[in-house]
Amino acid sequence: MKRRIFLIGGFNETTSLAKSLIKKGYRVTAINDDRGKCNALAEIEHLTVFVGDGTKPFVLEDADAYNADIAIALTDHDADNLVICELCKKKFHIKKTVALISDPKKTEFFYRMGIDSVVCAITAIANIIEQQAFLDEMATLVPIGDGRINIAQVPVAATAPVVDKKLWEINLPKEVIIGCVLRGEHSIVPRGDTRILAGDMLVLISSAKQEMAAIKELTGR
Amino acid sequence: MKLFPNKKEKSYSIIVGCGRLGANLAGALYDKGANVLIIDNNKESFRKLSPSFGGISLLGDATDFFVLNESDIKNATAVVAVTNNDNTNILVAQIAKELFHIPHVIARLYDPERECVYHELGIDTICPAVLSAKEVDRILNMGEVTEEAI
Repeated sequence: MKRRIFLIGGFNETTSLAKSLIKKGYRVTAINDDRGKCNALAEIEHLTVFVGDGTKPFVLEDADAYNADIAIALTDHDADNLVICELCKKKFHIKKTVALISDPKKTEFFYRMGIDSVVCAITAIANIIEQQAFLDEMATLVPIGDGRINIAQVPVAATAPVVDKKLWEINLPKEVIIGCVLRGEHSIVPRGDTRILAGDMLVLISSAKQEMAAIKELTGR
Repeated sequence: MKLFPNKKEKSYSIIVGCGRLGANLAGALYDKGANVLIIDNNKESFRKLSPSFGGISLLGDATDFFVLNESDIKNATAVVAVTNNDNTNILVAQIAKELFHIPHVIARLYDPERECVYHELGIDTICPAVLSAKEVDRILNMGEVTEEAI
């Protein structure tokens, strides 16, 4: 039997999650207390939609929550998401509950209340932004060929994992080469046995997709 | 002079939500000589407090740990969650019970259906609808009794 997933509250999240889950072969039910949003959701093929407040037990019961496998609470309010997940867990005995929260400080508390998976959007976004910011700091990028290829300048810190390694010892992704090593006043066109030292500046030519992986490999961040 | 001279011995109640019930309760507890702190996220709400109320009012979101720490929740003997949102009350009550181990935690729930889930957590719930129904029933029955007596 197909696994049944409940998506409660939220609109943009529910829309994109519902589409991808249905594509993967799950039976998806969405519950939303806004009739207009429900109408919009109902346009998604194979999605079952219920209008109602998902924090109320009878709404969940109407939607046949007893037979759900996973419940995902996506409302804007942490309190609502907690109540939804607790009802799903305790009253309807749903095996896996997932809650979205906006206050990162409550993550631990939500886990303690028995919710299986707690997703904090703010922490996730902050991490991505931080990564991007770090990347800008340590590498100068020159996109060429409509941005498909990047030339990046990557400084090698003393703590980087590649220090004192020969080029062929580094596990770089396929579509990446180190085109030049700038060392002090010299510039070296490297060969496989060129050793990388702390303080070197590497000029990297890479496809846009592989560049993050390459920089991570070189700097360890 | 200290505001609360013998704080340790006195009971310390935190009331979350300064609505009609919250404000009345705060006033009543204060008159009985308890230490009372009332939290609400709307400054205007505190106008409902009686002029004689001498407890502390704290502006902020009671589901925020920062605000809870500021309220000195660790030393509270009772937490009463009476905001106009059931789910907020539940969240506050559970934080008080699970993280701060407050002996008496009471949550007001408008919707009696959710009650069953929270009883097992040791949170006392009061439901105005159920209480009103009981009271109406009692008054009606009382009427019958007196009629019979006559």
